[in-house]
Amino acid sequence: MQRRNFLTNLFAFVPLILGFLGISKMSMDFLTPTRKAQLRKVFASNLADLPINGTKEMIDLKGNKFNLIRTGEKEVKALSTTCTHLGCSVYWEADKNQFYCPCHQGVFDSDGNVVSGPPPTKLDSYETEIIGSNIYIFMKDNIA
Amino acid sequence: MSIKNWISESFPVDNEALSHASSEPIPNHMKKWWWALGGTPFYMFVVQIITGLLLAFYYVPNPDVAYESVSKITNEVSYGWLIRSIHKWSANIMMATVILHMMRVFFTQAYRKPRELNWMFGVIIFLLTLILGFTGYSLIYEQMSYWAMKVGTEIAAATPFVGNWIANFMRGGEDIGQATLSRMHILHVLILPMVMVILLFIHVYLIRTLGVTDLRFKNEEKAERKTFPFWPNHVMTELVMVALIMFVLVALSLIWPAHMGAKADPTTTPMHIKPEWYFYPVYRWLKLSNLTLGVIVPMICVGILFFWPFIDRFFEKVFPKKEVGFWIGVLGALLLTVLLFWETIAH
Repeated sequence: MQRRNFLTNLFAFVPLILGFLGISKMSMDFLTPTRKAQLRKVFASNLADLPINGTKEMIDLKGNKFNLIRTGEKEVKALSTTCTHLGCSVYWEADKNQFYCPCHQGVFDSDGNVVSGPPPTKLDSYETEIIGSNIYIFMKDNIA
Repeated sequence: MSIKNWISESFPVDNEALSHASSEPIPNHMKKWWWALGGTPFYMFVVQIITGLLLAFYYVPNPDVAYESVSKITNEVSYGWLIRSIHKWSANIMMATVILHMMRVFFTQAYRKPRELNWMFGVIIFLLTLILGFTGYSLIYEQMSYWAMKVGTEIAAATPFVGNWIANFMRGGEDIGQATLSRMHILHVLILPMVMVILLFIHVYLIRTLGVTDLRFKNEEKAERKTFPFWPNHVMTELVMVALIMFVLVALSLIWPAHMGAKADPTTTPMHIKPEWYFYPVYRWLKLSNLTLGVIVPMICVGILFFWPFIDRFFEKVFPKKEVGFWIGVLGALLLTVLLFWETIAH
C-alpha cells in the first residue's frame, strides 16, 4: 500500500471506528440501569403484636414477601420467602414444617436451610433490630 | 405514453435476471409435498408479523394495564380472540417446524461443506425463535408469563461472570417492572423481528446460491441428477402447504383459543407453574441439576449445535464410516424427547 493511501485510510477510518465505538459505549450506558437500590431501616411491627414463636407474613419495599418470626423475648428473625434458585416465592407447608418452591421443587426447613432440590443456598434473611418495643428491618428500596 | 410504458420506464425491471433468480433448479426429491419444513416456519413468521401488527394496535406495554389490554383484545375487540389465537398457534407451529426442519437437516447431513455457515445462521434463527416466544409470552403479564420472566432473567443471572449484568440489562433494573416490560416489548415487536428478517434473507440467499442439498435414496446413488424449477412448480407445492397449514391454524384456534390466566402477582408464585412446551427440556433439567450445571449444560449444548458441522467433520476424520455424528444426534433427540415428556406428564 502506498504511503498516501495508508495515510488516507488512517485518517478516514480510525476516527470513524473510534466514533462508532464511542457511540456504542454511550448506547450501552444508556441502556444499562444506573440507579442502585439503597438499604433502609423500616418499622415492621410492635413486639406486643407478635407473640413468642408467632409469625407474620409481610411484604418488603420491593414487593417481595418475607416472614417475620419472633424466636425469643427480645429476638426476632426475618426470613425471605424468595427461593434462592431462580427467584420464585416459596410456600410454607405447616403440616411438614417446611418451605416448598413450586418452580423447581426446592425444599427448605423452617430456618431456611436447603433440605432438597436445586436451590444453591439457604433462604435469605433480613437484618433486624429491636428498639424498645419496636421491631425494625433493614430492606432495600424499590427505586431501581 | 401508456401507463405500462410509464411504469416500465420509472421502475425498470430486468426480466431476464428475475427469471434466472426464480428458476432455481430444485432436486427431484422435493417434489414430495411434505418436503416443505423449511418453508413452513417462514410462512408462520409472515402470519405472526401480520397478526402481531394487528395486536399492536391495542396492546399497552405498561405493567398496570398490559393484562387488561390483552383481556380487551381477547374479550371485546372484534375477532380479537381469533387474531390472538392465530398469533399464539402460529408461534407454536413455527417452533415445532423449525425443530423438525433442523432435525431433517441434521439427519440428512445437509449442513456439510459448503453449507456450514448456513447451518450456523439456522441455529441463530432457532435461538431467535425461542427468544421471540419468551418475550412474546412475557407481554401478556399474567401469572405464568410474569413468573416465566422472573425465572428466565434469574437463569440469565446465573451465567458465569456476566450473568448479573445480562439479567439487569434484560430487566432494566434489579426487579421485574415497567422497564422490563418496555424492553420485552421493544425486543418482541421491533428488534428481534428486524434481525430475524435479515437472518432469513441471508439464510435463503445462501440456499439459493449454494443450492438445495441433493438427496439420494437407496438405488438412486448412480442415477442422473434430476431437477425441476422453483417457479412455478415448487412454489405451487408450498402454496398447497400454506393452504393446509392455514386450515390447521384456524382449526386449532377455534378448538383451543388462547385463554387468559390470572393477572400477574409479583408476591405469589402459582402453585402449579410451567413454561411453554419448548422450554420443558431445560425446565426439567433445571429441576434435576444444581443451578450452575443447570445453566452451563444447555449453553454447552447450544455451542455444540452451533459448531456441529465442524465437530461432525472431526468425528468423520477420526472414526471414518462409523456414523458417530448420526448416533450423537439420535442420543440428543432421545434425551430431549424424554425430558419433554417427563415435564409434560409431571404435576
